[in-house]
Amino acid sequence: MSGSLNILVLIKQVPDTSSKAGLNPDGTIDRAKAKRMLNPFDRFALQAALHSKKVTNGKVTALSMGPPPAVEILLEAIEHGVDKGFLLSDRRLAASDTLATAYALHKVIQHLGPFDLIFTGLQTTDGDTAQVGPQIAERLNLPQVTYCEDFSIEGGKLHARRIVEGGHQTVVSEFPALVTVANAYHHLEYKTIRGARLVQELQRNEELKAQYIQTITLDDVGADPELCGLKGSPTIVAHTDKVGQIGGRCVMHQGKSIEMLVNEIAAGTNIKEFVRQ
Amino acid sequence: MSDMDKIKYNLLLVGGSSSNLALAHRLIALAKASGQQLSIAILEKGREFGSHIVSGAVSNPHVIKKLFPDYMENGFPIEGVCTESFFSVMGAYKKWDAPRNLMPAEFKKEGYLILTLSNVIGWMANRLKEEVKDIPNVTIDFFPGFSAHEVIYDGSRVMGVRVSHTENPMDDYIYADVTVFGDKGFLSQDVLKNFDLRKNAQLWSVGVKELWEIPQDLSNKVWHTMGYPVLDGTFGGGFVYGMKNNRLTIGLILSLDSPNPDINPQQRLQDFKKHPWIQSLIQEGRLIKYGAALLPEGGYYSLPEKFAVDGAIIVGDALGTLNQRTLSGVDMAMECGYQAAEVLIEAFRDGDYSQAKLNQFQKRLNNTFVIKDLYESRYFRQAFNENPRLLNSYLPTVAKAVDDGNPMVGMLKVGLSNPFRAPFDGLRVLSLFSGTKDIGPVRYKKCHEHIQPDFQAPAMQNGQPFNKDTIYSREDAVFYANTRYHEGNMHIDEFEATTCMRCISRYSDQGKLPPCVNDCTAEVHRVDEIDNVRKHGMSLENCIQCRTCEIVCPEENLRVNPTAQGSGPDFAGL
Repeated sequence: MSGSLNILVLIKQVPDTSSKAGLNPDGTIDRAKAKRMLNPFDRFALQAALHSKKVTNGKVTALSMGPPPAVEILLEAIEHGVDKGFLLSDRRLAASDTLATAYALHKVIQHLGPFDLIFTGLQTTDGDTAQVGPQIAERLNLPQVTYCEDFSIEGGKLHARRIVEGGHQTVVSEFPALVTVANAYHHLEYKTIRGARLVQELQRNEELKAQYIQTITLDDVGADPELCGLKGSPTIVAHTDKVGQIGGRCVMHQGKSIEMLVNEIAAGTNIKEFVRQ
Repeated sequence: MSDMDKIKYNLLLVGGSSSNLALAHRLIALAKASGQQLSIAILEKGREFGSHIVSGAVSNPHVIKKLFPDYMENGFPIEGVCTESFFSVMGAYKKWDAPRNLMPAEFKKEGYLILTLSNVIGWMANRLKEEVKDIPNVTIDFFPGFSAHEVIYDGSRVMGVRVSHTENPMDDYIYADVTVFGDKGFLSQDVLKNFDLRKNAQLWSVGVKELWEIPQDLSNKVWHTMGYPVLDGTFGGGFVYGMKNNRLTIGLILSLDSPNPDINPQQRLQDFKKHPWIQSLIQEGRLIKYGAALLPEGGYYSLPEKFAVDGAIIVGDALGTLNQRTLSGVDMAMECGYQAAEVLIEAFRDGDYSQAKLNQFQKRLNNTFVIKDLYESRYFRQAFNENPRLLNSYLPTVAKAVDDGNPMVGMLKVGLSNPFRAPFDGLRVLSLFSGTKDIGPVRYKKCHEHIQPDFQAPAMQNGQPFNKDTIYSREDAVFYANTRYHEGNMHIDEFEATTCMRCISRYSDQGKLPPCVNDCTAEVHRVDEIDNVRKHGMSLENCIQCRTCEIVCPEENLRVNPTAQGSGPDFAGL
């Protein structure tokens, strides 16, 4: 058992993978049209943060970067037991690549910190780079534990098990440290009734909500706008290819008996001659 | 635990039911008028409001009109208004629509609303959210995905409920000045038992229902049927409701106080669908959803002695206000909520949550159509219970005559072959139905006490040609209930493994499976043979939470608990 830890978890709102997200003409995702959800990988980071809070009697702050609707995932995090949320939201951040994102977020962390433990998800479902977490650690000059599938906090140190090719590796780190949590970690526990109640109260009471969730801008944290957004992003998306229409000609045959399935598939294809009646 | 840290409300509504939502709607209107400060919490075990709701439903609009006078314009979800209703006797091959003048008045549903109750519940919850925004003195917290697991008592007073089992007990309990139980018996049965309020057994039926998309438009047509495929003496019948957008509801309601240990409601519904008439409707159609739920059918004599205790009121299906004779449950439940709200506003004003105060609800309800109608229908089930011939002899004779082409001859045959009994039976039944003859209070046996292990069901006539693609096995049907469970879900208790083994061996001796396996609507219960011992096993991830197993278990060895985390079926739109 260690002293109370000050814990940060980074979470992101992504287009809901179950909705058919529209695409802009340039091939990027039309985020305004898509339904939104908490990045599924971040659920493991959230669970890691809440677990650390419980075992160290600590505090968890959630930080997200995105347009104003991203407040939704901060509220969701509070339902699960997060104590406070910050949203970095600034038009000048639009079209940030991982370099610019990590720059902006590390400025926020310097502004809000210090934190003993920072958790991030492995990657996001919209970018899939897995670069932001490690970049932030480098910028903050923190030890980083990537692909962490389990951990314990003993004697004021982090004992973590990482997934490596062909097995796993156990590492011990001092605090502060940044951990990217693999999706092999424990599933996020269900929201609590207290958390769900608090969030409904926050939605009724703007004043109280401001105490729990703050929206901050680049100016608040002293970040250089030149290093953010499109300007700060050396990544160039030269060209995107559509690898097939969503939905396409795929037909799902579900919830039928085997006999029905065989008949349906046989009727729709040219495999009829191979089906024995 | 200090009071500050407690999660506490003035009013806690257990269950997002039509009764509880009607209650909240009425209560906040009263609080708006009086300025009464109120905090309300609504627990709903489904993922969303409405996702665990299954009902027919054809409903008399009178209470909806009272609650939402603008219901035709305000977006209240209606599938249609009945323009043609039929009462049909089903043979195995033919259907006979009773002429209008022979049709029991209860089955004349013209002008009634055809509803998808799960949609109605979702709409009512959203409407509440909007309404409460304009009432600064009232707050409502909605908790979909949270169910009550346990009632908390302090002596003779209900204090609230337990919601979860986290490591922090202060986060697990919700306390309230008044808790209202509007559930389907999952939890309210504990309150009734704790205070010994229900002296007579409750009778239950199970309803199974499929929603189809069909090529033709049958909207606003309503059929209620008797006969095939329920000719084994079980009380029950079918319903077919035409809805807008080319959708069709096909359902079957089967009483669980049957001697038959193999009712198998889901498969019986498939038999119903094999009937040439239904086949003609669903050819080229598509199954959209499947679901099942219990209906409390004991009526007047199964009502609890009191409808309230210190700190709690019981409404709707928890109370058992469904009127089986008139097939009405939704309006009864909503009226319960409406009347309870009138009592509660005074209770909150006076700060008096005693049984004496809260049970004003019973007095109020006694003066409404709810209890008056139930009183009139009080012998409806008794008429069938005391005279099994009605269902196991007369009905099959008439059904056979329908197939032979002349139902009137069938009725005559019933009269001729039982020259002394039938006319007497007929008169007695009519007087019991209408409640004009008083035979004093009746007592019901529990449903499972009716089951006879050695019961021989008459062979089902299943010679009709049917399209196999319209018929679904129980395993396949589960897919259409959209079940989803969290890891580690264990919501059905089996109290004693040896009791189940004894029951299984008793039924094995008859070459049969026990009722929990047969009557399960979703392929949950099974018999596993392990080391030559036959044991009871369960596939809980299939469960659609109808609670039939609990009711038919001959040993009362099963208990279906409310699930956590919103787990279970998704009946939205069913």
